[in-house]
Amino acid sequence: MITLRSEFKKIKRKKIGLTMCALIGVQFAWLLWAGNHPDEKERLQGWIEMLHSLPLVSVIMMPTIMSVLASRLADVEHKGNTYKLLNTLRRPGSLYHAKVVCGTLFILAISLAQFLFVIALGYSRGYAGHPEWKYYTTAFMLNLACCLSLYLLQLLLSMLFFNQMIPLVAGLGGSMLGLILMYVKMYSFLPWGGFLSAAQVNMDWNPETRVIHFYYREYSPVELCAVAMIFVWIVVFYTAGRILFAGKEA
Amino acid sequence: MPTQNLVETHNLTKQYGKVRCVNAVNMQVPPGSIYGFLGPNGAGKSTTLKMILGLARPTEGSITLFDVPVNEKNRMKLLAQTGSLIESPSYYGHLTGEENLRIIQTLKGCSEKDIDKVLKIVRLHDARGKLVNHYSLGMKQRLGLAAALLGFPKLLILDEPTNGLDPAGIQEMRELICTLPSKYGMTVIVSSHLLSEIDQMADHVGIIRKGELVYQDTLESLHAHSKEQIALRVSHTAIALDLLRQKGIEAVQEEEYLLLPMVDDTYVANLCRQLITQNISLYRVEKREKSLEDIFLSLTGKESSL
Repeated sequence: MITLRSEFKKIKRKKIGLTMCALIGVQFAWLLWAGNHPDEKERLQGWIEMLHSLPLVSVIMMPTIMSVLASRLADVEHKGNTYKLLNTLRRPGSLYHAKVVCGTLFILAISLAQFLFVIALGYSRGYAGHPEWKYYTTAFMLNLACCLSLYLLQLLLSMLFFNQMIPLVAGLGGSMLGLILMYVKMYSFLPWGGFLSAAQVNMDWNPETRVIHFYYREYSPVELCAVAMIFVWIVVFYTAGRILFAGKEA
Repeated sequence: MPTQNLVETHNLTKQYGKVRCVNAVNMQVPPGSIYGFLGPNGAGKSTTLKMILGLARPTEGSITLFDVPVNEKNRMKLLAQTGSLIESPSYYGHLTGEENLRIIQTLKGCSEKDIDKVLKIVRLHDARGKLVNHYSLGMKQRLGLAAALLGFPKLLILDEPTNGLDPAGIQEMRELICTLPSKYGMTVIVSSHLLSEIDQMADHVGIIRKGELVYQDTLESLHAHSKEQIALRVSHTAIALDLLRQKGIEAVQEEEYLLLPMVDDTYVANLCRQLITQNISLYRVEKREKSLEDIFLSLTGKESSL
């Protein structure tokens, strides 16, 4: 707790919250545009359509957001050359753990904001019925897990490189890769593809009637493995970061 | 078994690839002392200090702090009684000096009142609310020292603390370090590549050269090596040496010269007269002085940079 408390003291004036709000704002703008239907028939599928849009928004935006978050948390140490001091005060493992927990709290806030915004938006637009909580809760949890896996990867890179352009470019590259993988359907086992692997909604588009039908999909065994991979990445990146942090000589 | 030294290293060695940066160093730092760790740039001072602080893993050897052998389990507990400033100060530039110290104080778990005290000691009290990015290098260095002083540890390890300071800053830092053992009961290890600096601060000295500790004793002993001597060059060195020893003079032969402890001019004149009466021709009578610099250079190698 002491190390975590000091972690929050370190980021004072770094405006991490404001940066996150700005990036989330872009997501909100996208979601405002998506699912905005004046037609009552289309609004019948409003809740499920939002669940379809959320992973698409996340796959493009979240890798960048996670890279910015990790970079901001690691950069304060690089700039002030503080590892050699901190490692004489606390075990390197506990310092790493504090960065993970600090970042996770931000991710939790971001994900909560994202979902609460979608729900508020749905009600304000008058979508039929209520959100299907089972799917929304699952989507929230899986979104959180995907963000965490990406954050741990970015934290690893941000700690490894003094120049924060490298992890930031990796984050932007991840966003681009996620977008490309979405079209070639090869996203399943990559960390940036987690959002799409975990997506619970598919759609059918009839070219003749130009009507889109959204439906909840059942995961095939391979798709279930792809979802499980999100958690494997979390373990892999967390362990690698911890080993790197603990083994790093100042 | 108690060793009576606050810090001891035993055959401490660090190897990077095939290069031995630190080779079997046996350092002994008595409690309450200011131990000057002297050596040219790249001699292995920082690496040795980093190993003591657990920032670098020794390839071989062991370290004893406060009479306890350091291991992975007790490292943090032992380091809780130390403060350090290694190479350059560590700081968060976007925070004020006081906020920086508050972070260190939280992590060290010491009293909040210490922040005020150390700010006064390093004379940063008036600049406590200023962002560290706006501090001068000297102020950053003093902030680093303040962070090391938090909790008033038993042992303070300072690696080249005067680096980058202007002459006034250097003087101020020296004076501050000199007061630490008497005022706060601290033991200080301070490294430098400048002999004059160590000469003004330390009471014990360790000289490292190419990773090897080539000298370790009190500064007084080092000064003893620099005493003035009388050098005589005579025709029959062996006979003259016997004669001098018969008179109770501790003379030694060094190449063609006989070296005598410093004596007054009348005594030298008498000696010369006696040698001549024994049919020993006197070629030269010289006064020799081996300076601390000479000793340092002979220990560290003249090719090394100072």
